[in-house]
Parts: sequence; structure tokens; C-alpha cells
Amino acid sequence: MIGRFALKLLILVIALGALVPALAQDVIELEAWVAFSDHRYDWAVDTAERFNALQDDIHVDMVSVVDYDTIVNNYTLGREDGNYPEIVQLFDAALQFAVDSNWFSFAEEIIGGREEVLGHPVNFDDIIPVISNYYTVDGVWASVAWNTSTPIMYYNVDMLEQAGISELPQTWADVLDACAALQSLVDDGTISACASWPFSGWFIEQWLAQQNEYMVNNENGRAGRATEFNLDTDAYRAIAQFYRDLYSNGYFIFEGQDQWGPPTQNFISGKVAILMSSSAAARAVSEGAAETGFSLDTTGMVYNQDAPSGWVGNILGGATMWISNGLTPEAEDAAMAFLLFFSNTENSASWHTASGYVPVRNSSIELLQNLEPGNELLWDIPSGARVDIEADDWYAAFPNFLTASTQLGNSTVNNATRGSTYGTFQQSRPYYNGLVEDYMLNGGDLDAMIEDTNATLTELLQEYNFLFADE
Amino acid sequence: MEEIAYSVHPIIVTLVGALLGAGYFAFLRWQTQVGSVNISLLIGAISGALGATLLTAPLGYCMFQADQKSEDILVGWIAVALGLLLTLNIFSNLLWRYFRGQRLLPRGDTTPGAFRGRFGLLYALAVLSPTILVLIYFVYLPMFDTLRFSTFLARFGAPRTRFICVSNFSRMLSDVDYHSNLFLSFALSFGIILIAMSLALLIASMLNQPIRGANLYRTLLIWPYAISPIVAGSIFGLLLGTESGIVNRVLDLLFGTKVPWLVSIPAAQISVVLASVWNVIGFNILFYTAGLQTIPKDLLESASIDGASAWQRFARITFPLLSPFTFFLIVTNTIYAFFDTFGLIFVLTRGGPTESTFTAMYRVYVTGILASDIGKSTAQSLILFLIVVGITIVQFRVGQRRVQYGNY
Amino acid sequence: MTESASSRFVFDPSAGKHRPLWRRLIPQRWYAHLILITAVVIITFPMFYALLISTQSNPEVYNHKFTPGTMFFENLHTVMVQRNMGRFMLNSFIIALSIAVGKTIMSVLAGLGLVYFRYPGKWIVFGFVIITLIMPGDVLLIALYRRVVSFDAWPHPYVALTLPLLASATGVFIFRQHFMTMPPDLSEAAQLDGASPLQFLFRVLIPLSWNTIGALMVIMFLFGWNQFLWPLILLRDQDLQVVQWGMQSLTQNLEVGDNFGPMMMGVIITSLPPMIVFLILQRQFMKGFALTRDK
Repeated sequence: MIGRFALKLLILVIALGALVPALAQDVIELEAWVAFSDHRYDWAVDTAERFNALQDDIHVDMVSVVDYDTIVNNYTLGREDGNYPEIVQLFDAALQFAVDSNWFSFAEEIIGGREEVLGHPVNFDDIIPVISNYYTVDGVWASVAWNTSTPIMYYNVDMLEQAGISELPQTWADVLDACAALQSLVDDGTISACASWPFSGWFIEQWLAQQNEYMVNNENGRAGRATEFNLDTDAYRAIAQFYRDLYSNGYFIFEGQDQWGPPTQNFISGKVAILMSSSAAARAVSEGAAETGFSLDTTGMVYNQDAPSGWVGNILGGATMWISNGLTPEAEDAAMAFLLFFSNTENSASWHTASGYVPVRNSSIELLQNLEPGNELLWDIPSGARVDIEADDWYAAFPNFLTASTQLGNSTVNNATRGSTYGTFQQSRPYYNGLVEDYMLNGGDLDAMIEDTNATLTELLQEYNFLFADE
Repeated sequence: MEEIAYSVHPIIVTLVGALLGAGYFAFLRWQTQVGSVNISLLIGAISGALGATLLTAPLGYCMFQADQKSEDILVGWIAVALGLLLTLNIFSNLLWRYFRGQRLLPRGDTTPGAFRGRFGLLYALAVLSPTILVLIYFVYLPMFDTLRFSTFLARFGAPRTRFICVSNFSRMLSDVDYHSNLFLSFALSFGIILIAMSLALLIASMLNQPIRGANLYRTLLIWPYAISPIVAGSIFGLLLGTESGIVNRVLDLLFGTKVPWLVSIPAAQISVVLASVWNVIGFNILFYTAGLQTIPKDLLESASIDGASAWQRFARITFPLLSPFTFFLIVTNTIYAFFDTFGLIFVLTRGGPTESTFTAMYRVYVTGILASDIGKSTAQSLILFLIVVGITIVQFRVGQRRVQYGNY
Repeated sequence: MTESASSRFVFDPSAGKHRPLWRRLIPQRWYAHLILITAVVIITFPMFYALLISTQSNPEVYNHKFTPGTMFFENLHTVMVQRNMGRFMLNSFIIALSIAVGKTIMSVLAGLGLVYFRYPGKWIVFGFVIITLIMPGDVLLIALYRRVVSFDAWPHPYVALTLPLLASATGVFIFRQHFMTMPPDLSEAAQLDGASPLQFLFRVLIPLSWNTIGALMVIMFLFGWNQFLWPLILLRDQDLQVVQWGMQSLTQNLEVGDNFGPMMMGVIITSLPPMIVFLILQRQFMKGFALTRDK
């Protein structure tokens, strides 16, 4: 009896065992690595689940890999032993590495001129030009933009008014003037200083682009592979001098290189009147200002009024989603379909509310301006779910969220504002940022410092090129 | 860094080594007056030649070739010197053991109570093998894999590498920034070790008094030891921000002054030292408290009967008897200060302001892990490794003379 | 020396009975209390500040409130549920315990091999082990990863994670030191009884070494608990990640605005398990690191 029962059981198990892989074969499993592990990761998981619910035969699994650097390292290692995901989020500084590695299929090549992939419309023209151009390599659209930000100014309007400033500063000179006026508030102890912001190399890149200047030769590496650094420019000198002026007059509270928390804290707690930060901080700063109780206003990133070109435009920052090469055509299409869904009009709008990252599509901005009840676009951080935006026009209710989109929308697209691309991006940042820091704190012979750093960075870049460039 | 026209032929390098070796052995022969002069000279020349080629031949004597810069040749001679240091020490030791009729290899510690029997070595290998195998496969092999890159231009993920002889090392010779990184490592480590150990000893001495609540005190005092350096960095970042930090908030309320703890020199360096001390002091307190309990009370008692003051008792009895603990703590604190503080520095100051807290290990981390520039990074870590080996050997030498293992 | 002469100096508990009034009001060894209280205040201040912040909301932190905030349970929820710290703590506990046990077993065996046998070149073996103490492990991680994944039949990722960490130079050093201070009569007697070295280890040495074992376990547990970069590189399954990974995810949203409360809640919660392990093994720890012959 028992023997026969066991035999039946065995047959059943074998049959099931054969059936399960057969069923599973039809499902395309995709893994996506993202560099977030906070509420932004929760948003990504939620959106992937929404995509999975749309069909049975594709399943996307979101994996958090903590930060941008670790993603690049782990992906590189994974390429050696085959343990890598189909989709990976790479930050702007890794653009050249992503291209040089030959590890990725470009979005435009996967799409191959189709209007839609598995029912998800492409609508490439809908993407804001300065964004699509950043991730266009040799005329080919390479990766799908996701988290995109740009620096903007945050002002404590109450303080500015108290100091008799009615117009928000637009230029460096305006900032210096405002700071001079705000000095009376510093003297009576209302605020500690005029301004404080993260001392980041990203702002230096932005200010070079604004002045229509290149970081590296061959038009920022966009017209051909970059081979030399281009720091010996008036634009770069002007940036160093601006910081020096701010700091030596006591206008600027310096909290250390790449420290993002303390300056934001200084602004929200009302100790300074001016903050420059990523548009991705819009939500946190807005909420903080409301809780501390001051009125907040924002403008685009201040620019050098003396630059011959005037304000040309800003670069974007952030990261995009890349698709690994070597996938089956079906998997490639599935990955592409997911990324198109991930960055479609609704999701791009919802993503924007979660943080302040710029919606990458013009249609998302329109959607946010014409909201219907039941829109389910607002990302509620505590509950980790999408809820309705209870307004007709998001930007009317939260005007500070529009500043970044306006800034990018107004930017002229050229090889300065497309941003530089070269292999030693991440390695070079501390050098050109550190030089400005050194000059700001200690002064010195700026020309000699630039010559020295430029030579060092050029040498590193040429070493990279030697190892990566096609022979 | 200009190119120089001359080259050094491998035979000359070998001959120089042989001459130095023969000279050194002749000196030893004259000093000890033991053994045959001819054999001394012969073995000396051989081991000198061996030492000179030990580190240079595997690289094909590349640093002595005509296309190299003067720094490369200097690195070459340093490699020769390191090789000589190694071979001359080993061979002179062996030779004079032979001259004196001793066994070539010492029998090891003649531990009383060791097991007798012919299979001692096999048995010992069997119980040692788990540790040795893990070390070989997971520590030594990865190390050789990594060190190979120190003579290469290599980047993580690059399709190719390029042999560049000793350029990674000679670059460090002329790199003023790197010199200040190294100097800073020494200075900060010295500060960390000195403060963390002397404060720990003071606190442990107080804990060792027969007082109430010693257990509670001790528990509260070692808490920071349970925190990793990176997290310690985040906590101190909250405390020490110029405008955002709570410490300056308090200073401002009390004295109307603010200290730029993390963005000025030397405040940033002091902050890094203090945060590291905070992180490691619990460990030191623990060991010193354990150590103080091993000191026989009757010894102290009889000393005080003989009229020794508290300070004299401490200086003449307690401190010398604590020397094994002091020695152990110096070694572990050195390793902590040189190698483990980079996470704390990364969070707290990013090596700033103007690289004033940029230690050598932080440089290794930034170059290797953040910038993927593997060749330079491994060369830097090799130098750091040699330096800490040097420090440790000195510590062991001094330790062997000074450390008193209680035998009463 | 008379009894009174010695009591005038130290170590006489009966001395207190004859103290004058001011002596009784001020605790004996007030200076020790003074120094210790100062040390406790300074050393625990960062932790208590972290504790304070863990109850606060961002604006409360920004404005330097010195009173406990309103967000304790919200922050706890964020850390334990939303950021999944409970799971990471369990993972880390398993890893840290495996590392502590494994390291201790291997160190005891190695200590036996380094002390209780006679063979030439023993110092070479010891040097081979002890020099690994100075090797900068973080630099070797990529090479280690390649070695580890070249063997792809690991039964579980945690085996691949812990095995490379099981050799301990510190452990070998401490057990060697400990065994060398054992009276030689012990092993002589064991040999007379015909015991093998392993029997001697289990029946004599280990029962005499519990304090050292306990002490070492504390250090090794903490070593395992604080692992960060290695699991970060090796583990590809997010649910297997460790507690320091969870800490990193709590500190990461710098650009979009810090969440100080959850971050410091994380600091406090993740420092508790090592503290508890220490409190349990405190007695062993204090006795276990007696590096001298006299205990």
C-alpha cells in the first residue's frame, strides 16, 4: 500500500517538477539594480509592481545596491562571473565608462524605429531636449532617463524682505549684494550668515556650462574622445573668485566638501537666508521651511553676470537606466518596455512628487498642471503608497517644484550644456573641487594651482584613455 | 623628472649586491671571530647577489634601463636595499648558527609540556591547517593577485593593463601630496594612540578602585566600542558642524563663540583624532581593566608599607606589570589608527579641509575603491603595509626588551 | 610592621569606621568618582545625543531641541519595518555568531598547534599567521571576491561570506599567549595518562579557557557585526544583507534631505546587540585577557 502510494507521490512530484520550469520558461525575469535604498527605492518597487501587474509574462525585480559607486563596482565584478542584472541605474559620472565598457545595448538600437515596444509608446520627442541630449552618444539615444535633477536656489523670503531685498538674486553679483544687505541681520543675530550650500564639484560643472565653457577638450568630449583637461579658463577662475569673495567677506558658511546635510540644515533652521542645492531637495526643503515657519521661494541657479556668453543653460545631474547587452531579443524588448513604462507620463509625474527630481517628459508637466481627482500621483513617504494630489494644478500649489523644469527647459542645448563626458569623471571631481576649496580658504596663486591640477588631471585622463580607448 | 641618459646593467646591480654582502659578512666575521673567513666572504657575496636580484630580477631589471627616469632608478636601489636587508639577515643568521654548531632552524619555543612523539609536526599541521589554509587561499592569494597590479597601469573594468615598471612607486617619491598624507598618518596615529591609551589607563585605574557602581561606569564607558567607524563618523558629523552642530550651539550659548571643527586647520585634525579616540577607547579601557586585575595586590601593599607613594607604586610596579597589555594595545591601536579610520574620515571631513585630514589609507581608499585606479592604489597600500610592518617589528623588538611577562 | 601601620596606608576596609564626619559625607575615593563621571559624561554624550535625536523629527533636530521629541514610534517604525532593519539584524546576528564561533574554534586549534608540539620553524608559522593582522583587508576585497566566486558550489551565500573571515590572527595570538601560561604539569600528566593532544585539548585546556574563549567571542562578534564592504560586494540578494547595509540605507538620503531621527534610531538599535553580548560575557572578558601567568 505504502509503496504504491509513495510511487504515485513520486510520479506526481516528477510531473509537477517538469511542469514548473515549463511554466516558468514563459515568464521573462528581469532584475534591475538601483542606487537608492530609502523612500525612492520604495517608489521604484511600487512602480515595478504596477508594471508586473500589467502582464503575466514579464516580472521585474528591483534590487537596491545602496549607492552609485557600489553599483558600478558590483556591476563590473558581476560582468566577470555572469552575475549581473538586465537593467542597471548608472549615474551621470559613469556615462563614458558605460559607453567604453561595451556592456550595454543602446535604447535607440533596441527600439529600432518602432513607435511602441510591447504596447508602451516611445514618444522620444516628448522628453525634455537637454535631458535626452545628455544621454545621447554619437547621435544615438543610449539610456533611459529616470532621476534627473539640476541645482536651484532656495531663498528665505522673510529674511530677504527684512533686509530690504525685494528681487530674488539671479546672478553672482546679486548674491553678493544681497549678502551685503543681509549683513545687518547677521549683526543683530537674526541669522548666522548670508548663505550656506553643499560644496560640491557638481556646482562647478554647472557654472562652467552656464558660461558656455568646456571642462575637457574636444567640446567636453562630445565631439570626440576627450584627451585633455580644460581648467585654464576665465570661467573656472571666475568660479574660484566668486567663492573667494563669498567666503572672505564672511557671507558663506562652509561645512566641508560634499557635505549635503549640514548646509540644508542651516537653511531650514533659519540660520542662513540662501541655499543652493539640488532640485531633488525641493520636497524636503519645502516641508522643512513650512515646519520652521518661513516663506520659501526658489529661482534657477545663479550665474556669472560677467560671462561673455551670458547664461547659456544648465546641465542635468542624476542617473539613467541602462540595459545590459547580450540579452535575448524578447528580454531586451521586455526591459525596454519596462523602462518606457517606468518613465511614461504618469510615472514620471509621480516620481517628481516623491522628491523634486525633474519629470523627464513635457507631457508629465502638463499632466501635473491639469489634475483630475483620482490621479494617484503623489508619493506618500510614510505609508509608501501613491495617493491623490488634492489640487488642480500641482505647480500652482507648489511653485518651487517648477523652477528646475523651467531652468532645464530654457537651457540652450549645446556641447557645454550637454555636460562633459570622459572616463575619469569620478576621480577628477575632488581635484577641481578641492582646488576651488583651497583657493577659497587660503587664497594663493590661482594660475599656478590651475596649471598644476590641470596637468595632473590630464595625465589621469590619458592613462584612462590608454586603457579603454579603441586602439 | 627629466629623462636621464645612463642605464645600470643587471650585472653591475648584482655585483654591487655581492660586494655589499661580502663586506657585511666580513664585518660580522671580524666582529664575532667565529668561523672561516673564506666561507663568510663567499656566502656573503652569494646572499648579497641574491638580495640585489630578489626584487629587481622578477621585474626584468626594468627600473635600471635607459628609458627610465631618475626616480625609477632610485626606487630600483631601494628595492635592492630591501632585498639585501632580507637576505643578509637570513643568511648571516643561518651561517653563524652553522659556525657555532647550532641547528640551522631553531627548535621553536621549548615549551615545557609539549607533546613528545615522532608525529609532532604532522599533528601540529593538522590542527593548524584550517587557519593556514584559510589564510593562504583567502588572504595571501588575494594579496598576491592584488600586488601584481602595483607595477601596472590598471583600472577596474578596463579591457587591458600596461606594465609600467616601478612608476607607481617612483610617482610617490616625487608626490608632495602623498608625503603629507604619510606624515599625517603618522601624526594622527600618534595622537590617537597616545590619547586613547593614556586616558584609558587613567580611567581603568579609577575603575580598579574599590568603588560603588564600577560595573555601571564600565558599561557606559565601553559603549562606543560597539559602533563602527563609519557610524561614529555620522554621529560626530552631527555634533561638530560649524553652524549645524550641537557642540557649537552650546559653545555659542555659553561663550558666544563657534569653532569650525571640521573645516579649519588644526581643528579638523583634532576632531578626527578625538572621534577616533572616542571610537577605540572602550577597547583600551577593557584591556587595561582586565590587566589591572592581574596585578597582585600584596605586591602593591608591601610597596606602600615600604613608603612608596601612589605615583611611585604606579610607575614602578603597576605600569611595568601592565606592559604586555600596553604592548598588545599599541599594536592593535596602531592598526586601527592607520587602517580603520578611513571610514570615519570619509564621513566626517572627506579628507579636508584642503587635504588636511587626508591620511595614507584614505588615499588608498579614494584611489582604489572610489576611483578604480587599481595600480596606484595597490602600490600605495604596499608602501603602507611595509611601513606598518616596519613599525610593528620595531614595536616587537622594543617590546621583547621591555615587556615583562610576570613570573613571580 | 604593625597592623596599624598598614591600615594607615591602604587596603583596610575597617578603616572607614573611624572616619571623621566630613569623610563620611564625601564618598571615599571621591576623585575616582569625579574622574569617572567626567569620563562617562564626555564619552556617552554622543550616544545620548543620538538617543535624543532618535525621538525627534527633522525640524526638532534642526532647531536643536534638548527635550525628547514626538517621533519615537514613527522613527522606530521607519527603521524596523520600512527599512527592514529587523531582518538585517537577524542576518547580521547569524553571520556574527558564525564568525565568532568559527574563529574561536580555529584559533583554539591553532593555539594548540603553536604551543604543544615541537617542530622546527615554529616562529615562521606564527609569523605567517600574525602578519595578516597588518594586511589592509579592504584593499583585497575585489581579489578576494574573484577567488570566492571562482568556486561556485557554495551551499549558501553566508558560507562564502564567513569562511574567508574565519582565520584570526588576534585569536591565534591570544590563545598562544594563554596556552603558554598554562602550567606544564597539565600536559605532562595528560601524557602520562596516554591522552592524545586533542583529548588533552577538550578535557583539560578548554575547560580552563572558558574565560579567554568568552572574551574572544565578544571581540569576534563585534568584528562580524561591523562587516560592511565585504557583504556589500558579495551578497546580491537584498534580503540577505547585513545591519551595516541597513545603516547605510538610513544615512544615504543626503541630497534629498537627511532623516536624522531614523538614522540615529538605527545607530542606537544596531549598537544594542553587541552591547548585550558584551554584558552577558562581561565577567569572562575581564578575566579572559589576563596575559600574565598569575591569574
